[in-house]
Amino acid sequence: MIVARGLTKTYGPRTAVDHLSFTVEPGRVTGFLGPNGAGKSTTMRMILGLDRPTSGSVTVNGRSYAASPAPLREVGALLEARALHPGRSARDHLRWLAASNGIPRTRIDEVLDLVGLEAVAEQRVGRFSLGMGQRLGIAVALLGDPPVVVLDEPVNGLDPEGIRWVRNLARELAGQGRTVLVSSHLMSEMALTADHLIVVGRGRMLADCSMADFITEHASSYVRVRSPRVSDAEALLRGQGLDVDRLDDQLRVRGRNAAEIGELLGGAGLYVHELALVQSSLEDAFMTLTADSVEYATHPAETAGAVR
Amino acid sequence: MSATPTVSTAPARPGTGSSSAADVVRLDPNRHVPGVRQPGFAQVLHAEWVKFWTVRSTRWSLGLLFLLGAGLTTLVCWAAASDLAAGDTGEAPAAFLTWGLLFSQLTALALGTLVVTSEYGTGMIRATVTAVPRRGRVVAAKAVVLTVVLFVAGVVTAVAGYLGGNWFLDREGVGLALSDDGVLRALLGNGLYLAGLGVFALATGLLIRHTAAALTVGMALVLVVGNVAYALPGTWGEWVAKLLPGNAGGAVAQVAPFNGGAVLAPWTGFGVFAAEVAALLLVAVLVFRRRDA
Repeated sequence: MIVARGLTKTYGPRTAVDHLSFTVEPGRVTGFLGPNGAGKSTTMRMILGLDRPTSGSVTVNGRSYAASPAPLREVGALLEARALHPGRSARDHLRWLAASNGIPRTRIDEVLDLVGLEAVAEQRVGRFSLGMGQRLGIAVALLGDPPVVVLDEPVNGLDPEGIRWVRNLARELAGQGRTVLVSSHLMSEMALTADHLIVVGRGRMLADCSMADFITEHASSYVRVRSPRVSDAEALLRGQGLDVDRLDDQLRVRGRNAAEIGELLGGAGLYVHELALVQSSLEDAFMTLTADSVEYATHPAETAGAVR
Repeated sequence: MSATPTVSTAPARPGTGSSSAADVVRLDPNRHVPGVRQPGFAQVLHAEWVKFWTVRSTRWSLGLLFLLGAGLTTLVCWAAASDLAAGDTGEAPAAFLTWGLLFSQLTALALGTLVVTSEYGTGMIRATVTAVPRRGRVVAAKAVVLTVVLFVAGVVTAVAGYLGGNWFLDREGVGLALSDDGVLRALLGNGLYLAGLGVFALATGLLIRHTAAALTVGMALVLVVGNVAYALPGTWGEWVAKLLPGNAGGAVAQVAPFNGGAVLAPWTGFGVFAAEVAALLLVAVLVFRRRDA
């Protein structure tokens, strides 16, 4: 369990993390989401005792990270930037880490096998691709078999197969009862991985809720109906007390699912040309939520309006 | 990304949804390691030892240290032997027996600097500090590794240089025996001085964090400033020169100093040097502990 209380970090006049308070519970994947520069990495660095909070505190399993006698056996972390010497082999990198926390050497082969790097374990990591580097980073995180796992942008640089692997791994770790915190700036990725969401922008908390709540609250869905007798259909559905918007020849209906709406219309003898559930993406919801807090906003070209 | 599959979050998993934290398995951090003990300084030392020997720069530096230290001493003694015997150089033959130190000390500085700046350069330092959050221990372990390795390398190099160089001096009848005044002390002193320089560079590296900058500062302090300081006027100028780390520490590593600047007595000088290194290391540790990694 990770508990942050009033966590704040300022660099000169710039506030990177602004009074964040949250709890990362065990047994589920918590997504830590925010645009670039939102303070995710800074927060993670403070969790790991790399950066000193300006004020506030963060504890892991009830104490500060630095107070842990064998931190790698308590918290496993994948840091965003590569934190290894390019001239050292993957195995040697794991060797010194294992030595530092009294982890037996047999565990090195276990994690190499787990991340699929056993064949290249003797190669210098400077030759590794981005994806292999990420895999090694995950091997490092799991080296101490820790009950708390912190992954900063774990899917960066991974191919689709690797992304799926990380996703399943995160879910599996949480399923084993571990505390799993995964940061990302991609809502679509989080939607597939996380049970719980912490959304930050400009260092401030924007949302701290379950994924299901986030979807209900921020992502709208409706059933799109096309019918040759659109006005009759509209009248019928409104008569059932449903929320109906009309755009030209299509209706946007909320309050019933597509099957029920189809049966209503069919029962009244109305032909239906299209009946579809439309879910506005979480990506859109996330963009709307964080629109004010994007650090380096791009301004759409003037013609961009035509795309919509 | 519009429409479809975004809803497929939270698939059925045992124990999710309404479950509270209470029925989550409590994981024992030691479950993979039966009977394991809490890691202490020995583990940190072991980790630093592994790190030290698993990068190429270590072997390169040590190879170069030996080659420059012992090789140049031998070479210079071979070239200068007859002049020394004739008394043409105005220097004592003893001064030439550790001639290579002038260059081997550079590699000791480089090795000490790289032990920490390479970690900053590559981002490794973050892995180091997450593995061992007690940063004082990290520095202490690095210092122990450097001291041990450079002491051994320094003594071995000095002995080899003595054997090689003295062979040529002996041929001209100006060689020194191991039992002669200061010879054994200098061979041992080579190890001590290089170890001290390594730790000095470690501290500089911790404070400056960039390889090139730290190397420049380290070498400038030990070599350039040390020599230039002799140009300072008056007795205070002489004292400043004598107390600078390279001048103070170097005397213990030489059988006899070259003519020129005055130096402290070998062991007094080394005492001063050791105190300076210790003070710098202390400052570096304090800064390192406060700073964000």
